[in-house]
This record gives sequence, structure tokens and C-alpha cells, in this order.
Amino acid sequence: MKRLLASLAIPVIAVLAVGAWFTTRIPASPFDGQGKSSLSTTLERGEYVARLGDCVACHSTERGAPFSGGLAMGTPLGTIFTTNITPDKATGIGSYTLAQFDNAVRRGVGPDGRRLYPAMPYPSYARLSDDDVKALYDYFMNHVQPVQQANQASTIPWPMNMRWPLALWSAAFTDGRVYRPDPSRDASWNRGAYLVEGPGHCGSCHTPRGLAMQEEALDGSAKAYLSGALLDGWYAPSLRNDHNTGLGRWSEEDIVAYLKQGRNRHGVVFGSMMEAFNNSTQFMTDDDLQGIARYLKSLPGDPDRDGPPWQPDSATTQMLSSGAAPAMPGAATYLARCASCHGRDGMGRGAWIPPLAGATSLLAPDASSAINITLNGGGRVVAGGVSDAYRMPALRSQLSDGQIAELLTFLRGAWGNKAAAVTAAEVGTLRQHTNPASSEVIVLQMR
Amino acid sequence: MEITVNGAVRIVDAEPDTPLLWVLRDNLGLTGTKYGCGLAQCGACTVLVQGLPVRSCVTPVESVAGLPVTTIETVEQDDVGRRIVEAWVAHQVPQCGYCQSGQVMAATALLKQVAAPSDSDIAAAMTNLCRCGTYNAIAAAIRNVAQG
Repeated sequence: MKRLLASLAIPVIAVLAVGAWFTTRIPASPFDGQGKSSLSTTLERGEYVARLGDCVACHSTERGAPFSGGLAMGTPLGTIFTTNITPDKATGIGSYTLAQFDNAVRRGVGPDGRRLYPAMPYPSYARLSDDDVKALYDYFMNHVQPVQQANQASTIPWPMNMRWPLALWSAAFTDGRVYRPDPSRDASWNRGAYLVEGPGHCGSCHTPRGLAMQEEALDGSAKAYLSGALLDGWYAPSLRNDHNTGLGRWSEEDIVAYLKQGRNRHGVVFGSMMEAFNNSTQFMTDDDLQGIARYLKSLPGDPDRDGPPWQPDSATTQMLSSGAAPAMPGAATYLARCASCHGRDGMGRGAWIPPLAGATSLLAPDASSAINITLNGGGRVVAGGVSDAYRMPALRSQLSDGQIAELLTFLRGAWGNKAAAVTAAEVGTLRQHTNPASSEVIVLQMR
Repeated sequence: MEITVNGAVRIVDAEPDTPLLWVLRDNLGLTGTKYGCGLAQCGACTVLVQGLPVRSCVTPVESVAGLPVTTIETVEQDDVGRRIVEAWVAHQVPQCGYCQSGQVMAATALLKQVAAPSDSDIAAAMTNLCRCGTYNAIAAAIRNVAQG
């Protein structure tokens, strides 16, 4: 018996040893052994990569110093806080070597072998080129103001707060591949694919997540990639060529205008996309935006998921323009509260006020975005340093859950829109979750 | 940019996203249309575009290029508009008067579309706010015009 146990113990110990090594090892980086002297990038180059990656969105708080961290992020296990990535030696990343920085950004491994939570979008950043990682390192080391601000511990309790299992998560759900150009496509498409799949980490919001919170796909080869997902109380719509719920009706020029000016004839940035626009996409070059548009327009839609194509129907316009009081309570609320801006024809006002007829957010399977913006209004869209002239007001204190449900049910069936009704309970839940005074408020979720 | 105001084509020098209200008041000197809330909530800035009431404070001027705009200054040239103004005087509707040009425009639009509005039609169309509370007098004047 003793001999049996002993003979079993050897392979068990071996497996444990390999497991321990695997889950705590520091992966190899192409920059291993390189000192700081090998750097030769300009400020603009590194700053641009930081804009592409939108690092500031999570590694800053509204009133905090840039890149000093501290933003709370809700996870199913507890709240984690983003870290200080200023070059402060004591509390930031000032003592990181280029290889250590690279391991954190592209592989999700800290300098001591501790695994980062995948709230850091390293599964996408893995695609970054060596040159962009170097430029980013140079920017953070030499051009960001160091700030002494200690990182906050997460509220996740033991044993769930152990980091080594994340090594297994990474092995299962990431491929750790630098972007490889597709030789059958042109340079602009490949640049767009690199930006979307890599630094832009668009999939963090727009790709549905699986049971382990992993993105179901990390590149355009899978149908689930960028097919739309619910996150932070907003429904990030499909970025594929879905006619109703995606970019099917958008031209490449429309996509460029949306990312550059924050608006086009189809819509205006709002919710989490407003933040991505304010901090990131508007700073991209026209060539890069053109590449993104080209790449996104190459992703096929899924008619089974998307349903029959939206066709405009003027019956709603005629009903609302007759001058008589509408019989539907939702339509009456629309006339009193919404029609002044969005119009009786639901067409909005050019690029300034978005249309509701055929709007993606109203045709989407999930009505969260429509409910959220009706309750809480649009945020401040700042394009080229100038804030927007026309902004969606918050109707939280003017309309009840029932009135908003009736209004949105009407809008999801108006002008040819065909989408499911909204219930007062759905509105009530989101009202509670987006009320800052609530104990169940949505804090930023996994990104 | 060319816009058509009160039957005349006017050339204005303004950014395309300038609110129509600012163009009317500042560029064209048509100050009968009032600035109230600036949020499309109160209706003091109501003008007619293609005969329908529009809150000019949230209307980018670009969006009305080529469409006929009517303001309080010429509303009496319209038969319905003239009768509304006469009823307003007969009923002594205005108190402070600030919201009244918007109220007259909204009432004119309603009666041009629905000759004999029900009380619920009036309530649905007249969403303009009046801090003096002249709502009863407004409804009475509209009913008076509707009955001839």
C-alpha cells in the first residue's frame, strides 16, 4: 500500500510542479535583456499608440491625474481597481523594463509573474506589433507625468483572488499572437484589421462573452466576432454588415465620419462609445479610420440573427402629423417629449440630431441602450475640443417606468421598425442600476 | 446659406449647426420669437416649418434650408393666424406675454390641421409652457376660433 501511494505521489508531484511552474512563470518577450538605451521613438508616435489603445479610458478616473488608475470595475466576483501606469517608481510602472512592460500589455503577466485580470484587454493587445509596444513604453516612461498614488486592493475574497488560475484562463482563451497581415487583402484593410482587433480592442465591448467572461472570438474569422453584446447597461451593437442591427446600411464614409466627428446621418456617439470617441477614435488619422471602415465593411452580417431588412414606413409620420391627439399613449409621449428634435418623421435633423426611424439602438435585440439614454440622456460629445450643441436630455425624473416602456415600445414599432416591446420592469431595473444613489449601481464591468 | 423666412429668401452667414432661433433673432432681427429654455421643453421659440410647429432653439439651421419658415411677425397674413390673434386679443390671453408668440404659432398650426379640435386634441398639441398659467384662456380662445 505504501509503495502504491509512493508510486502515485511521484506523478502527482510532477504534475503539481509543472502546474506551479506554468501558472507562475514569466513568459519570454522579444525584448528580454534589452535596456532603455535601445529606444528611439518620438513623443507623437508613442502618444498616438496610447490613443489607439485608449489606455486613459480605464487607467484614469474623472477627477484623477491621467494614467494614475483607481477606476472601479465590477466583476462577478467583486470590484477590482485599475492600476497606476504612470512612471512613478514606487507606485507606478517606473521600474518596469521594456520586456516586463511587454509582458503586462501583450501577455497579461506582471513583473513578479502575477497574472493580470483580463479586464486589461491583453487578449486584444497581444496583436500589437513590437514597434508599437516599444513606442508605448517610451511614451509611458518618458512623457507621462509620474504620480505617486498607491494601487487599491480588489474586494474579491480569498480564494477567488488567487491570480495563478488566470494563467489557465489565458491558455484556454487567448492565442497570444501578434497581428499577421492577410496577404490576400490590401494594406489599408490590414491596417484596419490590426487597429480593430489589436489596440482598438473593439471586441471588448462589441463581441459577446462566454461563461468564463472570455470574448467568444478575437478576430474576424469567427461569426461571433463584433456581433453585438450587452455591457455596462449599454448594448454595444453589431459592427458587422447586419442590415438592421449592424453597419449594413452604413458606407465606409459614414464609419469614418462617425469615428472622426462623432456623428453621421445614422447616429451620434453615446454611452460607452461616446467615451471611446472622446478619448480615442477622433485622434486617429484619416488613413487609419479609412482602414477601420474598410475592414468592418468586410465582415459579413447574419440575416438569420438580423431578421428581415428594415424598410421605412410613412404611416407613423402621417399619424403624428395629423394634428389630432394620438390614441397610443407612447405616441402621445413622443409628440410631447421627443418630436421637437427627432421629428414627426423620426428622421432627426441631419447629422446633428440622430434619426429614430431605422436606428440600430431601436432595432437591436436588447433595448438597454434605448432605455438607458432615455433615462439618463446623452453625455457630452467633445469633438475637436468643442462640445456638442444638441444633447439628449435625461428624462429620468419626468417620465415613469411605464411611460418610458410605452414610449419605447411605440418607437420599436414605428416607421417600419420591428423590435420587441419594452416592459416597465426592464426600465425599472435599469433605472435602479443607473441611479448613483443606488447600492446596486452598475460600475464599469469587464472590458 | 439660403433660408426662406416669411416668404422671402434670406442669405445668412452662419455655421450649419447654429440653432434656427439664433439666426432668426440675431442674423435677421426677427425678435418676436423668444428664447425660453433652449431645450425644446417650453415652446417659447415655436415657429412653423412647412406649416408644422417646430421648436427653433433645437433646430439646426442647415435642416430647414429650402423649407418655408413662418414666424410670429407674419402669422397674421394667414387667415387662421389672423383669427387666432384676434381671439387672443378678445380673450385677453397674455399676462406677461413672453410665451405668447410661441403659443399663437402652436395654436395656428393646430387649427390649420384640425379645424374642429377636441379638448384632447388641444391638450395634445398645446404643450407650450406658460408660467403665468394662461392655459384656460388659451384653450377658450382656440375653441372660440374653431367654432367660427
